[in-house]
Amino acid sequence: MPFLAEEAHAAAGTPSIGEPMLWAILVAPLVAWALIAAYGRKFPTIAGYLALAGVGAACLLSYYTLFNVMDADGGIRQYTHEWFSAGSLTVNLGVRVDGLTAVMLVVVTTVSLLVQLYSTGYMDGDHGEGRYFAHMCLFTFSMLGLVLADNLFQIFIFWELVGLCSYLLIGFWFHKPSAAAAAKKAFIVTRIGDLGLLAALLLIFREVPEAAFDIAEIQHWAGGHLEGNVPTTTVVTLFALGIFAGAAGKSAQFPLHVWLPDAMEGPTPVSALIHAATMVAAGVYLVARFFPVFEASGDARDVVAWIGAITAIVAATIALVQTDFKRVMAYSTVSQLGYMMMALGLLGYVAAIFHLFTHAFFKALLFLGSGSVNHSTNTFDMRKMGGLKEFMPITFWTFLIGSLSLAGIFPLAGFWSKDEILLDAWRENRALWVIGLCVAFMTAFYMFRAIFLTFFGTYKGGEPVDHHDEDSHFHGDPAHPHESPWVMTLPLVLLAVPAIAAGWLAYDHMFKDFIEAALPEVHGHGSTFEIGIAISSSVVALAGIGAAYAIYMKKWVTSESIRATFAPFAIIFENKYYLDRLYEDLFVTRIMQGGWNRLLQANDKYVVDGIVNGSGRLAREASSRLRVIQTGQVQGYGLGIVAGILVIVVAVYAANPL
Amino acid sequence: MTIGLEHFLTVSALVFCIGLAIALSKRNAIGVLMGVELMLNAVNLTLVAFSRFSISERPITGQTFAVFIITVAAAEAAVALALAVSVYRNRETVDVDQINLLRS
Repeated sequence: MPFLAEEAHAAAGTPSIGEPMLWAILVAPLVAWALIAAYGRKFPTIAGYLALAGVGAACLLSYYTLFNVMDADGGIRQYTHEWFSAGSLTVNLGVRVDGLTAVMLVVVTTVSLLVQLYSTGYMDGDHGEGRYFAHMCLFTFSMLGLVLADNLFQIFIFWELVGLCSYLLIGFWFHKPSAAAAAKKAFIVTRIGDLGLLAALLLIFREVPEAAFDIAEIQHWAGGHLEGNVPTTTVVTLFALGIFAGAAGKSAQFPLHVWLPDAMEGPTPVSALIHAATMVAAGVYLVARFFPVFEASGDARDVVAWIGAITAIVAATIALVQTDFKRVMAYSTVSQLGYMMMALGLLGYVAAIFHLFTHAFFKALLFLGSGSVNHSTNTFDMRKMGGLKEFMPITFWTFLIGSLSLAGIFPLAGFWSKDEILLDAWRENRALWVIGLCVAFMTAFYMFRAIFLTFFGTYKGGEPVDHHDEDSHFHGDPAHPHESPWVMTLPLVLLAVPAIAAGWLAYDHMFKDFIEAALPEVHGHGSTFEIGIAISSSVVALAGIGAAYAIYMKKWVTSESIRATFAPFAIIFENKYYLDRLYEDLFVTRIMQGGWNRLLQANDKYVVDGIVNGSGRLAREASSRLRVIQTGQVQGYGLGIVAGILVIVVAVYAANPL
Repeated sequence: MTIGLEHFLTVSALVFCIGLAIALSKRNAIGVLMGVELMLNAVNLTLVAFSRFSISERPITGQTFAVFIITVAAAEAAVALALAVSVYRNRETVDVDQINLLRS
């Protein structure tokens, strides 16, 4: 295992990987997309295989890249070409690979490959199969482009592309009004954050046009190492906050997190790939990419840390009371993304990326597991499930592994990464550490609540198949659940492996040195293992599992009585802190429809229409006056011409006396 | 008193103005055409006069121009008379006051 190479890390070398290889990673899914787009309608069955081939090629190349970068201890390799320039604006097109990129490449392509495999089973028989795989390939391409980009401009382009793919895939079943609305909501809410990213882009162009948006140059600039252009703290903070606004939109941070739970309207593999493992992690990646900027601005860092902590706790509390299996996962994802952001705000660069890395695997596993459950019960409502352990053993065991990993139980992957975050919090800010522990408790609780409700007890029949629904492609009988086909269980088993083992990579801090080399300056952001933190977080996680066991298995205390005791909180949680209502009533109804739209309407009615109608009326009035001189008598016109000529002659003579 | 350019121009201006007055005031379309002919010939006179008093070595341009105008004027007269006949056949008048079809 090259991660466990033994030589000490003096200085990172330069990876030897060639440029064509890096572009090939990008092009492989794009080619698959183009082929599916061209032939998918005619031969829908080949779409899945094309997608597998394209993403599989990218995956192999990504692993090659990872090992290549590891040989160079995570050094940086960049190939840049000028795309266009206008005035002082220069925009480059290039690829950059370093430890962070390599890790992201592997995460994205591995999860994408397994999800595509799973999708060939899950989406089998859907009318839009070709369209589905085309969008998935386009998404993989965009995500890889985002990760490989060497400048902020390119990042922005791919950033919007992944947003577009997310929109297309959430609204994949666009004939369902809820899916169409969720897609729109996701797009608009993330756009609000993207506005911040665009502002940051413009700011960086105004401040350092010579940097040409290059990541390394911006990092130097923010660190104050760019000669002749040392930024003020305010500028750096503004830039950092702009970046973070974009990241908060994509990574579903409070208060822009409201789109992610609704995004579960899309097909479940989409949720696993886009809304659990990759795109939502893009925000964390972006902040980590510009980590030196956040290092240079303490205020921005505090904002990131606190927003992350608030997101983590808000989402975790909502997840406690969800009855929809998939929404528990969704809120859990939001909560874990908040964790990563909190780590970044606490200078835990390595901890955040490490958690991103492990989280991608076990959360994709959990989503695919919930899809597998849905595949056999035709519902996501946990109240209609129960006892599925007997019917779906593979799904159950893999799901259990994923949940234990997420809860942070030794020695699974989540344990190591979560501990690093908690350790960073312990060192930097005790208040955030307490929040982190609370979230860890709730995480363990709601995951095992879901497991006990779904897999234990007696089966409650699932959702009957609606045979009148033409879009339903449900096979089998929900009353008699069955294990999913091997194309769906194989990805579960394959994802369970990193969900167990990915954490060991942190041991000996190999992961740390590897991805820290992507930064211009190494400050030792990573944390070490500390037994006290490990024990405290394990105890908390076990307490969460025990509480869930007591309530939902042994029923020593009924959930209803707890709900009654904490009624005000439960109601707030069940209503998702009324945020959706607030946005709907205040922003959409009052400000947008009541204020801005009416202003625009008035402008349209009185100003625009006024100009149009006014010009028409002017022409009509003028012509009715002028009509009287049009007699139709040629001689009259001739007289007019002569009179005109005379006037001109007189005027010319008057102006130029002889 | 020698006859100079200004005398020719005065005469042609007078003829032009008489032609213009006829063209604008005559009711009869044939009369209007006659006025137009007068105006054209006034212009011819001007051109020839300029040609005669030109200091150019080969002052032929004005005369050439005049010949062209005479030709065109003949064609114009033919067309205009044909039009007048045609109008008369349709409307039984050549009174231009009555021919106000331009006013729709």
